[in-house]
Amino acid sequence: MKFFNDIIACFTNGKYLAAMLDGLWLTFIISLGAALVGLVLGTLVALVGLSKSKHPLMMIPRAICNVYVTVVRGTPMALQLFIMAFVIFAIRGFPQWVTAIIAFGINSGAYIAENIRAGILSVDIGQTEAGRALGLTSGTTMLKIVIPQAIKNVIPSIGNEIIALIKETSIVSMIGMYDLTAAAKDVGSGQNLASYIAPMTVAAVFYLIIVYALTFVVKKIERRLRSGDKR
Amino acid sequence: MISVKNIYKNFENVSVLRGVSCEIEKGERVVIIGPSGSGKSTLLRCMNLLEEPTYGEVWLDGKLVTDPDPYLHPDAIRASKTYASLIADGLTDDEAIKKIKKEDLLQKREGKQMKAVLDKIVAEHHLDINIARRKMGMVFQQFNLFNNLTVMENLTLAPVHLGLKTKEEAIETATALLHRIGLYDKKDEYPSRLSGGQKQRIAIIRALAMNPDAILFDEPTSALDPEMVGEVLDLIRELANEGMTMVIVTHEMGFAHEVGTRILFVDEGHIKEEAPPDEFFKNPKDVRLKEFLSKVL
Repeated sequence: MKFFNDIIACFTNGKYLAAMLDGLWLTFIISLGAALVGLVLGTLVALVGLSKSKHPLMMIPRAICNVYVTVVRGTPMALQLFIMAFVIFAIRGFPQWVTAIIAFGINSGAYIAENIRAGILSVDIGQTEAGRALGLTSGTTMLKIVIPQAIKNVIPSIGNEIIALIKETSIVSMIGMYDLTAAAKDVGSGQNLASYIAPMTVAAVFYLIIVYALTFVVKKIERRLRSGDKR
Repeated sequence: MISVKNIYKNFENVSVLRGVSCEIEKGERVVIIGPSGSGKSTLLRCMNLLEEPTYGEVWLDGKLVTDPDPYLHPDAIRASKTYASLIADGLTDDEAIKKIKKEDLLQKREGKQMKAVLDKIVAEHHLDINIARRKMGMVFQQFNLFNNLTVMENLTLAPVHLGLKTKEEAIETATALLHRIGLYDKKDEYPSRLSGGQKQRIAIIRALAMNPDAILFDEPTSALDPEMVGEVLDLIRELANEGMTMVIVTHEMGFAHEVGTRILFVDEGHIKEEAPPDEFFKNPKDVRLKEFLSKVL
């Protein structure tokens, strides 16, 4: 019975509700910001990584992109977040939410780059050859023929990536930020409800709703893009 | 019109073409046959640089579309450091050039003089490959229609985007071509809804929509169900009768005999025999060709 009373308290007690909504808002802002940064960064890195130019001006960015993907995918997210918060942006007064967006954006950019790269490579090489054989440049062929087909293949995996990102933002509490997970912990602590189960359940439901809504949107987009296909 | 000069093509450690030269004249219909893995498709794909030759040059209408190959220009060899050192060793001009060609001695760093000679060739003769490709249509074994575009968009994308035609002109041309092959009712379909034969015929008119001077066919019927081979061959035959210059890689021997004005037999990276169709099929000289014909005819 206490469980249900606590749940109700989470929504009716002004202090608890405000805490949970503050946390939810921060989680939402960090996720949205990081997803945007990740998409832009990932697309750039994927395109640079796929270029075959042998010009030295292209070789250097390509090497940088390689190192970036390797380092980011090869180290723990929490460590990356600590380095951002306590080393690179350890500046008094620098807004923490910006630090978090940059850290998560850089992290998901590496994964999204790999997804986009795989999506572009999954388009039959014959499509590129046909474009080039008509005299189109590699850029035009990419833009008009390959990328439109790659997007269909890439949307589901980018959706997954963003879902993973949203859930992973919960570790910002480790640098003392007040996101949804931190808020649930706070509301459940000794000074407040003195029971974790209700606020944790509420937080879980919030995460679930966000993720479910996103899955729904991704499915919608996917279905629309595939409407021209026979399958 | 298309001139292939001493082309070598190496993939990793496999050498597929080992010094192939041939001339395709305007109005000719050259058919390339050979066993699988002989390099016939690679030769065709080198003509429009879908494969970049390792050595050798490709010329289109007197314009160089590949990088210049120093081995083909004695002036360039004479300007190289390697040549200078061989001459210093006491070799004659003739010996030095022969040795360099035979032992593949030229390296990247041959000094400014050789580069100057090559740059001069580029300045005088170079033609951008993207321009050259507008003049050489290509038809693929796997059709390669653009899957994200409708039939009409497939036909109009390149001419419009390259500024060769206005959208209205391109649609007009495409409409006429679609009527010609009897597929106008498919103009708004996506390629996934067409049969193999329909796809290949549209791929052929996609090449035609660019008003090319020549069309390269890379095994145009090999991926088709048997009952669809006829309709594609009929269309190619029609183009042949209109005088289109063609280079065709195919396994259809009867078709090669009927349509070709000259047949090339490619084997082990060389052109082993080259003759008009009657002579080629009735009186083959090369041993490997005789063997090949006895298997396929």
